[in-house]
Amino acid sequence: MSDAGAAPAVVPAGARGARWRTLARIAREQPLGAFGALVLLVMVVVAIGAPVFAPFDPTQGDAASLNSAPNARNWLGTDAFGRDNLSRLIYGARISLMVGLGASLLGVVVGAALGIVSTYRGGWVDTITQRVMDALLAFPMLLLALAMAAVLGPSLPNVIVALAVPIAPRAARIARSSVLVLKATTFIEAARATGCSDLRIIVRHILPNTFAPLLVIATAYLGLAIVQEAALDYLGAGIQEPDSSWGLMMSGSATALALTAPWIVIFPGLAICLTVLASNLLGDAIRDLLDPKLRGK
Amino acid sequence: MADYILRRLGIGLVTLLGVAVMVFFIMRILPGDAAVMMSGAGAGAVSEKELAEVRSKLGLDRSLPVQFAEWAGKVAVFDLGTSLRTGKPVIEDIARRFPYTLQVVVMAMVIAVLVGVPMGVLSAAFPGSWGDQALRALSIVGLAAPSFWVGLILILALVWMFQWSAPLFWEPFWVSPWKSITQLFWPALAVGMRQLALIARMTRSIMLEVLGEDFIRTARAKGLSEWAVVMRHGLRNGLLPVVTLIGFEVSALFGGLIVTETVFSVPGLGQYVVTAILNRDYPAAQGIVLILAGIVVLGNLTVDLLYGALDPRTRVQAADK
Amino acid sequence: MNRNDAMQPGRASRRRVLKAGVGALAAGAAPRWSAAQTPKRGGTLRLSSGGDPPDFDVHQTATYLSQFVGAPCYSTLMRADPKDYNRLLPDLAEKTDVSADGRTVTFQLRDGVVFHNGMPLTAEDAAYSLERIRNPAKGIVSPRKGLLGNVEAIEARGPRTLVVRLSQAQPDFLFLVSNPFNVIVPKRVAEPLDAQGQGMKRQIVGTGPFRLTQAVDGQIYELTRFDKYFGPAPFLEKIQMFPIRGEVERSAALQGKRIDGCFFFPNESVLATLRKVPGMTALRRPTPTFINLIPNVQRKPFDDPRVREALSLALDRESFIKTVGPLSGAFYHSLGLMPPGSPYSLSAADIRQFGGYDTLPGLGGNLAANRARAIALLEQAGVPRGFKIVIPTRGDVPAFRDAAINIASQLKAVNLDVTVDIRDAGAFYTIETKGEFQMVVHSVAMGGSTPDQILGEGYTSYGGRNYGMWKDDALDAMYKAQSRELDAKKRGELIRQFQLAFLKTHYQINLAWVGYGAAYWNTVQGWNALPDLYANMQFGEVWLDA
Repeated sequence: MSDAGAAPAVVPAGARGARWRTLARIAREQPLGAFGALVLLVMVVVAIGAPVFAPFDPTQGDAASLNSAPNARNWLGTDAFGRDNLSRLIYGARISLMVGLGASLLGVVVGAALGIVSTYRGGWVDTITQRVMDALLAFPMLLLALAMAAVLGPSLPNVIVALAVPIAPRAARIARSSVLVLKATTFIEAARATGCSDLRIIVRHILPNTFAPLLVIATAYLGLAIVQEAALDYLGAGIQEPDSSWGLMMSGSATALALTAPWIVIFPGLAICLTVLASNLLGDAIRDLLDPKLRGK
Repeated sequence: MADYILRRLGIGLVTLLGVAVMVFFIMRILPGDAAVMMSGAGAGAVSEKELAEVRSKLGLDRSLPVQFAEWAGKVAVFDLGTSLRTGKPVIEDIARRFPYTLQVVVMAMVIAVLVGVPMGVLSAAFPGSWGDQALRALSIVGLAAPSFWVGLILILALVWMFQWSAPLFWEPFWVSPWKSITQLFWPALAVGMRQLALIARMTRSIMLEVLGEDFIRTARAKGLSEWAVVMRHGLRNGLLPVVTLIGFEVSALFGGLIVTETVFSVPGLGQYVVTAILNRDYPAAQGIVLILAGIVVLGNLTVDLLYGALDPRTRVQAADK
Repeated sequence: MNRNDAMQPGRASRRRVLKAGVGALAAGAAPRWSAAQTPKRGGTLRLSSGGDPPDFDVHQTATYLSQFVGAPCYSTLMRADPKDYNRLLPDLAEKTDVSADGRTVTFQLRDGVVFHNGMPLTAEDAAYSLERIRNPAKGIVSPRKGLLGNVEAIEARGPRTLVVRLSQAQPDFLFLVSNPFNVIVPKRVAEPLDAQGQGMKRQIVGTGPFRLTQAVDGQIYELTRFDKYFGPAPFLEKIQMFPIRGEVERSAALQGKRIDGCFFFPNESVLATLRKVPGMTALRRPTPTFINLIPNVQRKPFDDPRVREALSLALDRESFIKTVGPLSGAFYHSLGLMPPGSPYSLSAADIRQFGGYDTLPGLGGNLAANRARAIALLEQAGVPRGFKIVIPTRGDVPAFRDAAINIASQLKAVNLDVTVDIRDAGAFYTIETKGEFQMVVHSVAMGGSTPDQILGEGYTSYGGRNYGMWKDDALDAMYKAQSRELDAKKRGELIRQFQLAFLKTHYQINLAWVGYGAAYWNTVQGWNALPDLYANMQFGEVWLDA
């Protein structure tokens, strides 16, 4: 704070400098969060630039080098089809991150919208929404995703939807509790008294105040969705071959090869761990930054 | 209070009804056909006429609302029907498998609490120390690792290092408790990792909050040792939300077990429900999802009541919900 | 004029031809069982399979999981010799007569055979069992009814005589009736259960050397010696079977001496690890299971023979075997449609005329030229570049899943855009039986190696494995002609003609044959690894050298 306030004279360059300094200060305060953000950033860049970064075509195998251990040519070895693991890991990042981001965003946005609107409206709309959400919450999460994936059939958008379904009621729950607290406070009453429309109240007053917790759970579910996608692949209801995802790399014959060619299952597992770790660290940092009570601790 | 409990129970029943409707219709729109699965799937040579006969025998040719009404009517008197795959009453299958699942859940929770709570407390007692940072990172790794992957790696490591292999016959707890506990230790560890991490994180943040409050300052001012302050005043007051979390997590654990039981071939409910879904064994899948949902509903209710009993401040709020 | 020379089951005449062909293969299978040792009695043989049997009614299932538990408990009229699977031995039928026109087969049942529940076996039971397979009661499903499709009438004459009338002569009939799934069940137990539509799914009441004494879903299946078994008493006291899903877990259980043996190791790297263990026998043998690419002939553009030929041309069988073999055991190949080592195999010159089959190992085909021709054929047929094809497959079996993945990547080389839809078994079989697919890759497991078994079930319009739903009266007529031919030499030529005619159509495109992987501690004696896994699962001669 003091840094930013110290240089008001040098406007444009200074503002940028100040922003950088703020970032640097946040990074100093939240080294783990900064690390998480950096890891995610690198992963997104690698995923987008997969054709540039991947040394080989991830779908074409070399029948002459099956299950080879990590070596100078194939840094992470090859899989049972002679496909380069590093290239599959890089292309897999695309699918896995898309699933993670897609499912958590879709689930949180839909869930939050349902939660906010129904809670704000109250009455029978709220009651019905609540009961449906309760029922969804009582469903074991992975089973719901498994059933949805089997119903929709395997493809990237379907897997995203299947994984978003169990996330939505959880996001709705979080949003609901925030809205309940806000509804009880006087400033919503005041806004209404001054003639604000419901939409305006939701967008201007309620949304900004529920944003922080939703952002935090979005990062948490990003990781969870990636893990669950892997579990769906493991159970045989995930992504289509020859596309690659981290979960797909660990399923099928890879498990039978786990003793003789462990690199096939270890690297994608580590990639998942790292991603989930990064997104959770980022989520923690965001919570700490946005929660005034925790600031300074 | 009695009013409140009754109302909550009513809501719980409505929730279960919702689950019943959902699981029934999800199972029916799953691509795949119970008749095909029951008729030597994969051998070909089964005519549509034969399949139709099997369907009519199972009553699957009637309209969905009729089928649902019949099933729901039976469930209302605690009859979950007969498994299409094993041919035994679903409730019998569940009763035989439930103890294994319950034991894994309890053991996982015990491991998680015994390791997670002290980790969180220590972390909070020395915030910002390298130990705290390491514990935080570690606990997030626990959250990050997919439990089936942990299971797979665990099996790999165990086979490599100790030539360990999964037991062939899983002893029921009441037959030989110690053997059963040692047999289920590894699956419990693989499942409990996530809960351990969650509890450690939760304990840490709660303890941080509690340790900042006035009565702690007073306690310190009274000259109590830091240890006494943390343990006697901090932990006791911070434990409440942790108890809540444990309650919620027990239900999450039942879900997490699905894959881990498959990895370790533990003959519990998780494996049973996956097999049921994959074989389109409608009564079994529906029954078990309903039971799992019932556990979740009861678990949440218990947590709420416990919370209210432990902390009078929340009683009013809880009743408001 | 009835020829009454009893057909000695031990020397089922025309099989002598076959014997020579398979002898070469069997030579590699030197049994560990040395004649010098006298078998010991007693002990519990602990085995593992890949999962729970869906049910125990082997007439109603096709999975080895049911057969694995059922085989030691049931008997058939005749059965394969566990030392040479091309010979038939008497089982329940002590004598078998075939009439001169080949259309009447008379089985003389043994005297004094009792079922596990104490009831005596009668010809009524045998007649009911065969009828049950051929023409089951309402609500009972018989996936192998095609095997007995040539049967006209079944009749029990007196307590011990069973007469089967065939609609045309069928030299393979005795082999079909001896299929290990075609067991004899007690009529008095099965009939009322069948009437309820339930069948023998929940109990095993057989006449075999072992009886089922314990079945705990997900845990254990225990068989105990049946003291009133009609044959030589089995050496083992008990057999325990443990369902373990993961292959690595099964191999760990074996290495940890928690089990004595396991016959289900498709993955070569798992088997290779076991091969290095001292005191362990680990081997792979072919079994009559083949992997075919099956285009849906009802769907465009696969109705066009040029497109089907292009698919065959695009596939490099040698690289398929090299890649998918280590994952699924599909290491073997044959020339033509019959199993590896079959006396009915085609010559290299015969097989080379069919597009793509010259890439089988050792035939020196030119893959690049094949693929160029495939591209040209696809163009002629009007299939655009980048044409999208989806292959649905089941995710839990490497012979399906990994085969489909390999084929998808190979078809890319002729500009087809192929993805593999990995589904659970339930969805896959529904898609397949309803014909809602463009093409599937199917690993087809047969219970026997005779022409009527392989060609009849796999390659006729009405056969059970016609997933691609083609219809061809000429081929069906050719099949029937070879099936009734009694002269071995003439029949051989008819079988050759049938294969040549079928291969030309590319209705099904053969890729490889599968071998099973078995591993057991050397304490397990008396088990001979036949080139047919199903034919040797009764374990009556197996003993433990503990």
